Amino acid sequence: MKKMIAAALALCMALSLAACSGGGEPSKSGSGSNGGSTSQPAPAGTYPTQNVNGIVQWGAGGGTDSLMRPLAALAEQQLGKSIVIQNMTGATGSVATQYVYDANTDGYNLLMGAENPALYDVLEISQLTYDNFDCVYLIGDEVVGIIVSKDSKYASFTEIVDAALAAPNSVKLSTTGTGGLPWEVGAFITDITGATFNQIPYDSDASAKTAVMSGECDFTVCKVQSGIEDYKAGDIKFLCLLSEAPVEIMPEVPLITAEYPDFSKYLPWGPFYGIFVKEGTDASITETLGSAFKAVGTDPSYQEVLANFNINFLGYTGSEAADYITSWRENTVNALKNSGALS
Amino acid sequence: MMEALSYMAVVIREPWLILLVAAGTCAGIYVGAIPGLSGTMAVSLLVSFTFGWETHSALAVMIGVFVGSVFGGSRSAILLNIPGAPAAVATALDGYQLAKQGRAGEAMGLATSQSVIGTLLGVFALAVCAPVVAGVARNFHSIDYLMLSLMGLMMVGSLCGRSVKFGLIAGCIGIFLGCVGVDGQTAVKRFTFDIVYLNSGVDYVVAMIGLFGASEALSQITDMKSQPVKQKVDKIIPSWKESAQYLPLTIKSSVIGVLVGALPGAGGDIAALLSYDQAKRSVKKPSAPFGQGAVEGIIAPESANNAAIGGAFIPMLTMGIPGDAVTAVLISALTIQGLRPGPNLINETPDLFWLIVAALLLASIFLLVFGLTGIKAFTKIVEIPKGILMPTILILSVIGAYAIRNSLYDIFWMFGFGLIGYFLKRFNYPIAPIVLGVILTKLCEENYRRGVMLEGSIPGMLASIFTSPISIILCALLVFLFITQTEFYKNWKRKRERNRASV
Repeated sequence: MKKMIAAALALCMALSLAACSGGGEPSKSGSGSNGGSTSQPAPAGTYPTQNVNGIVQWGAGGGTDSLMRPLAALAEQQLGKSIVIQNMTGATGSVATQYVYDANTDGYNLLMGAENPALYDVLEISQLTYDNFDCVYLIGDEVVGIIVSKDSKYASFTEIVDAALAAPNSVKLSTTGTGGLPWEVGAFITDITGATFNQIPYDSDASAKTAVMSGECDFTVCKVQSGIEDYKAGDIKFLCLLSEAPVEIMPEVPLITAEYPDFSKYLPWGPFYGIFVKEGTDASITETLGSAFKAVGTDPSYQEVLANFNINFLGYTGSEAADYITSWRENTVNALKNSGALS
Repeated sequence: MMEALSYMAVVIREPWLILLVAAGTCAGIYVGAIPGLSGTMAVSLLVSFTFGWETHSALAVMIGVFVGSVFGGSRSAILLNIPGAPAAVATALDGYQLAKQGRAGEAMGLATSQSVIGTLLGVFALAVCAPVVAGVARNFHSIDYLMLSLMGLMMVGSLCGRSVKFGLIAGCIGIFLGCVGVDGQTAVKRFTFDIVYLNSGVDYVVAMIGLFGASEALSQITDMKSQPVKQKVDKIIPSWKESAQYLPLTIKSSVIGVLVGALPGAGGDIAALLSYDQAKRSVKKPSAPFGQGAVEGIIAPESANNAAIGGAFIPMLTMGIPGDAVTAVLISALTIQGLRPGPNLINETPDLFWLIVAALLLASIFLLVFGLTGIKAFTKIVEIPKGILMPTILILSVIGAYAIRNSLYDIFWMFGFGLIGYFLKRFNYPIAPIVLGVILTKLCEENYRRGVMLEGSIPGMLASIFTSPISIILCALLVFLFITQTEFYKNWKRKRERNRASV
């Protein structure tokens, strides 16, 4: 009898596990990543016949994840099938990128990513870039700014540049590693002003920001989204914004072009977010998905999410999205090359 | 004070919150008990699941799951020698030995009561001294993280069992594995052999499942003759007297838990390991030698990893910076709910802060209830014949490894680690140092490099220790820990005691 109870208990554990993973993880059947023979590209008009996997490049709780989940929840109603979000992190998002690329071109695996893959090849992270994917929906981009702690001796961006020119490689810029946002902007600054910095890499934008607040580093580059609350609390100061027009929620912060007009050649520039399918996916599938996302992108509740995150809404599909990404990549690679960050 | 109470009374005005916390805690215990399923995973599933709910209910169920899952890791650690989560690695060291002696019920009872006390102390710290702890966490520099990780690495000495040499070899294997992957600071690939899967490094949960779970099953299968140990179930609920007796250790461990939990770069896993080490050094007369079934070896890590929950909430609520992986997910949950985590959160929405405190308190009560009621049934797991239990463990290990990121590679890795673990065990190598190495390498290496880069040189980095009181204290502690382990110090102490005795 006791053995029976024990066996039943063990079974319960196994079942609850199966239930957990069954509910949370996307069903693999037909996604083709390990079979391939089960799924043919779906004929136009019938897609989708099963749940769609949304593979998020970044961790649960990150900026990308928080933008994708609400959008997917709305788009499900348009598609008539669930979009099962799954975070697949690692190696600047290239693990997820590779995963979606390895799957079939049947539109059942969506890559939900940020700007990073656009530069994978030049940074030698992976051979895949957004050239290997078709953009289904480009959600938007965002403005970044240069921040210092509230007690910083630097009152303006010009002062930072002057200090760095006077003593090269001494002013400390906290970054998120090679290829990250502060590293990229650091290259722009070097290109335009000639100033060079002592770049200290941290493992996330939150810790790079904390390093500035604690005084460990002198300044960093941060998205308006991730700095706004600390700015309102007075813990950090935004010295300038990399934007062509003032940002609504912080109109008092000057634009970088006021001090260094040459920056205008790189603007507008900022991280962007989009949803992608592997290249070669049937155009009708891409269109079905694109129109589903486009229909809900302008939904007031999603616009509120975007406003909360201070994302500039773009809502591009098709060639408009592709052109945006191509020119973004060209601008960025040029800047990185001019500054010597890339050879 | 009255204000705080009136905010916390929201759980009485909205009584379904109590039910949600209870359901979350119960589910969390099971999620935590299964290796590979983690609280982080469960809470991030809940983010989309509770998308349409109102904030209070969503938070209540997530906090329940969080608290339950941190505790749940101890269940499988004690019963099967497979930590359900990295935070329970230290619990397995003595917990499983107790189960082998037929005292699994007692061990689980103790783990429950200590987790509850740990959670309560963590909540107390959150409610009463959040600003102070946040101040310490914010001023924790790279060099301080480096010293913390060195303290952790020194634990190899505590975990190595019979031979220091074997312990060091195991630790080195762990550190080597921790180096695999794309280096986050320079994007250079190390030991990846152009395999994209390896770019993200070796997942330490996969390593843990393989080294503990699969290897345990393998070594038991090759030794089928030994019978399962009959478990005593008469003494399950720890007495007040016993809890009071161990209270100083509990409080010490919980303080470590809160502080380490509050650090954005370190969580409950490191807190549990450090407090186990602390217990091993400071407890003069343990109930049994550590590693052979000392109850102190359960008390310290279990109170610390649960106290780390309250700790992790401190930077999240005061600065909008996650204290660990679960609070990172909770930040996104709050954002999706339309709130703005950051330094203004407590002032703008004090009700939310106190709701979290109330939910944590409720969760610790339910932890006590669910933790103690299930024990008799759980002990039966150890009595299951090996022919059934060991294959079940292997299946659970496979599912657990796969569930982490739905990767087949992880299953192969898990089996690889299982084989390594099996052979290491056969030749009497300890395996806990491997997991320790994998967990700590990144923290240690990145902060060392950062420390050198910040000051421009190694002497500069060492000099920077003397610019901050936190660094000085940590450095003194590190030196103290090191010296007290040397033969020189031990001889000196022995001599002094002898002199004193002769006087």
